[in-house]
Amino acid sequence: MAETAGSSVKARSKQALQDDFLRKAVKFTTERLKNGKRKATEEHGNWEEWRERGRQIRLHTIAHLDYYLNLFADNARKAGAQVYFARDAAEAAVITREIVREKQARSVVKSKSMVTEELHINHVLEEMDVAAIETDLGEYIIQLAHEPPSHIIIPAIHKNKQQIAEVLSEVAGERLEPDTQVLAGFVRRKLREQFLAAEIGMTGCNFAIAETGSIVIFENEGNARMCSTLPKTQITFMGMERIIPSFEDLEVMATLLPRSATGQKLTAYMSAITGPRRTADGDGPEELHIIIIDNGRSRQLGDPDFQELLNCIRCGACLNVCPVYRHIGGHSYGSVYSGPIGAVLTPALMEDPSEWQDIAYASSLCGACWEACPVKIPLHDMLVYLRNRKVESGTTPTAEQVMFKGFNYMMSDHRRLERFLRLGKVGQKFVARDGYIRIKGPLKGWTNYRDLPEIPKQSFRDRWKELQVEIAQQPRPKTMIQDIEQRMRKVLEERSKGGGSGGGHQE
Amino acid sequence: MADTRNKQGSGKARAIYASKERQDEWMQAIADRLGRPRITEMPQHPFRGAPDFWRAYDLQQEERINLFMNNWTNLGGHAFRMSSMEEVGRFLLDFVRETGAQKLLMQRQPELMGLGLAEALHDVECTVWDSSAEEMIDEAAQADIGVVVVDHAAAYTGTIVVLSSPDKGRSTSLLPRALVAVVPASAIEASLGPILKGLDARPKDQLPAGVHFITGPSRSSDIENDLTIGVHGPGIVYALVVG
Amino acid sequence: MYPRVGEAMVRILARYGVQLDFPKVQTCCGQPAFNSGYWDDARASARTLLEAFDDSDFVIAPSGSCTGMIHHYYPKLFENDPAMLDKAVRLKEKTYEFSQFLVNVLGVEDVGATFPHKVTYHPSCHGTRLLGIKDEPMKLLQHVRGLELVPLPDAELCCGFGGTFAVKMSDISGAMVSEKVHNVESTGAEVLVGIDMGCLMNISGNIHAEGKPIRVMHLAELLNEGVSS
Repeated sequence: MAETAGSSVKARSKQALQDDFLRKAVKFTTERLKNGKRKATEEHGNWEEWRERGRQIRLHTIAHLDYYLNLFADNARKAGAQVYFARDAAEAAVITREIVREKQARSVVKSKSMVTEELHINHVLEEMDVAAIETDLGEYIIQLAHEPPSHIIIPAIHKNKQQIAEVLSEVAGERLEPDTQVLAGFVRRKLREQFLAAEIGMTGCNFAIAETGSIVIFENEGNARMCSTLPKTQITFMGMERIIPSFEDLEVMATLLPRSATGQKLTAYMSAITGPRRTADGDGPEELHIIIIDNGRSRQLGDPDFQELLNCIRCGACLNVCPVYRHIGGHSYGSVYSGPIGAVLTPALMEDPSEWQDIAYASSLCGACWEACPVKIPLHDMLVYLRNRKVESGTTPTAEQVMFKGFNYMMSDHRRLERFLRLGKVGQKFVARDGYIRIKGPLKGWTNYRDLPEIPKQSFRDRWKELQVEIAQQPRPKTMIQDIEQRMRKVLEERSKGGGSGGGHQE
Repeated sequence: MADTRNKQGSGKARAIYASKERQDEWMQAIADRLGRPRITEMPQHPFRGAPDFWRAYDLQQEERINLFMNNWTNLGGHAFRMSSMEEVGRFLLDFVRETGAQKLLMQRQPELMGLGLAEALHDVECTVWDSSAEEMIDEAAQADIGVVVVDHAAAYTGTIVVLSSPDKGRSTSLLPRALVAVVPASAIEASLGPILKGLDARPKDQLPAGVHFITGPSRSSDIENDLTIGVHGPGIVYALVVG
Repeated sequence: MYPRVGEAMVRILARYGVQLDFPKVQTCCGQPAFNSGYWDDARASARTLLEAFDDSDFVIAPSGSCTGMIHHYYPKLFENDPAMLDKAVRLKEKTYEFSQFLVNVLGVEDVGATFPHKVTYHPSCHGTRLLGIKDEPMKLLQHVRGLELVPLPDAELCCGFGGTFAVKMSDISGAMVSEKVHNVESTGAEVLVGIDMGCLMNISGNIHAEGKPIRVMHLAELLNEGVSS
């Protein structure tokens, strides 16, 4: 994974937070996508039922992944595809290199694929002096700018028209106006030549249908269709968890994915590709290679805390609602996958908790991601589980460990807490003014942006005795109390029958 | 490590990753992770497909046609209702003349062949998809207009579906600037469901290599969220509903 | 930290004849340690609650986040300790956030308060998402005489508190709370009301530091002030 060495989310986000354009652009785009999703899901209706169905299909498939993945591989082979199983980036590179060499390819056109980013396939091709050309408009732009994607769906979310015009003008050898039509028109012409010339097309895969051996790609531009139609050889990279059982199940995914990603009823293109071209066909690839990737995914299998992570359909909805992503953008995460899904997936794909720095801490745990997720992945819970594993591995900062030992000591006995509060009250006399503390001490992270309330003169626990006496004298509306007593009794009865869930979700 | 493998003579080093042994090893590893024996029989899948309430979703034919055309138009496409293929022929003649198109590419479909376009359009190159020809892709790349009769359409999403075959190139609906899709009224389903179920029901060896669901023109919002049409695929898309 | 909130809650509940107790042995629900991954330390703290409330019929807290901790995470925290798990599940069944208890258990929507001010409401993330609090606080506020409730733009956005997050990722958290306060300001409200002391401490801390004339109140405080005046 592309974790920039020695640099933390904290450090990277500091830069992002000072970039006014970036913050505005990210806010603007994520708002649009978020509102688009809201509108589309409301229009469609019964969204909760669809989500639940999507979740169940994904849960079922992953729980039986050996069966379905095997079935997919068998069927894809029957349809004429060549299927490989690659454990990691190194194995994927071996396979890729060999195919590229065999085809004597000089250029490869690529449609958007997060997996190839994860595996650094472009780097593999560069080393071979083979041009790897990203053909999704946004990906093309950031490739020319030598930057990684900063959003799963809108990779160039962080660039403005002016910057894009500059980048493209360099390729064009002439000055292009910063006009969307002009810029997109240039890219269309430029990339059309590349599509027709490339020996190999590379694609990702949104879903793979086990029962037919088909791969399914969602896109809006048509570049994935180009990559899978024009070059003689197609290589498709897919995460081992992309499977769904049938085309019938695809209806549910086709309902959830575009609406969650961009608010569309369906993307402009949804292509189901089954094997290479048939012998008598006039176009389509002569060879189809499907490389199935593990790269840390199988580690989530059988792990009750993380297995659901494999349900992700890569829609980006969690990024668009995330209040943290909104302020820091994708690059701050320092990983191919950004936003809440990136904060969980990046560490989860790693073997050892000490390999990741602070990415799982880049969340206030507000749960907006969980609420937005079309397959209900509890990302906010997973972040806490990751942090717990980091603690268990003993790789958290010593100062933090000491702090929570102190918390433990103080909170495990109320007398210690009371003593601490008394001490605190004495201590703060020197720093508190009208109820607030404003020092830049160990809590400067807090006090840079806020004042800290002082410990009150009398705590609730101190006041409780006299308060009891006072409320006994408080007037009460006599008639209502009976009603209320009855209601409370009813709740208690229901609870004793085992039907009580307190104030929580009635799940 | 990778290099030593590659040096093993002229054989394909990647073969080990494609082997049956490797596949079995993977599946066993998955089963082990999941803490149970390997599953080799088709499991019960109680959640297959759309929720029940959605399976009941249906529309009368006229409603389907209207909804399809509305959706297609809202996406930035153009939709017209036509009574017959003759009308489609007349539309195409007008369209070619008005746009000054130089080259038109049609699928080898009897409905289109019967239009007599090649005869009527003297100064326009009129090509029919020919899978035996060498340079079909270049032909398609040069065409201004691609004409297809769709296999299916879905009203709810405003989608047309084209299946590849020796007579129906995938490029025809992709490379030209403009796409004219003839949509037989009877091919419009209420939603995607029946079309997808139809794909499940086909004998496996009869599934086409490419099944393309097309919903409006090619589009992108990658530059500052500005919608641009026709970035790679056709930007001008016509749906001519016949019947 | 906020005795006046606890007192306000107690005073409101007492009006309906609810018998109240404050078991001294309780300390903290353990959320700060839990969210940071220090589960052993969280358990040490959580145990005091399991003991404190073993005999109570209902447990009511003026915080959606603490209640959410008990509901959402206690079973996980004690999953390997059957005796404590049993206590945790029983505690979960009887623990309510203040507004939920008032509206859903007591059936009270109008406490008879008057509060002639322009008010906006921040729905706390854990209250809404972990506990499913939707319109209970709104129902209570809508019945307050003289109160003008103005909608908060992007109300569902997190205020940036997140416990240790506010210190650990202070710049990000700072940007979040600034946006929240900006949104509160844009409503022209005199008072920001909420149901979670964590969020309110965060937001009021920023408001105070910036010297803005907006009062931050817990829902219980507002209701209590409205019935006392």
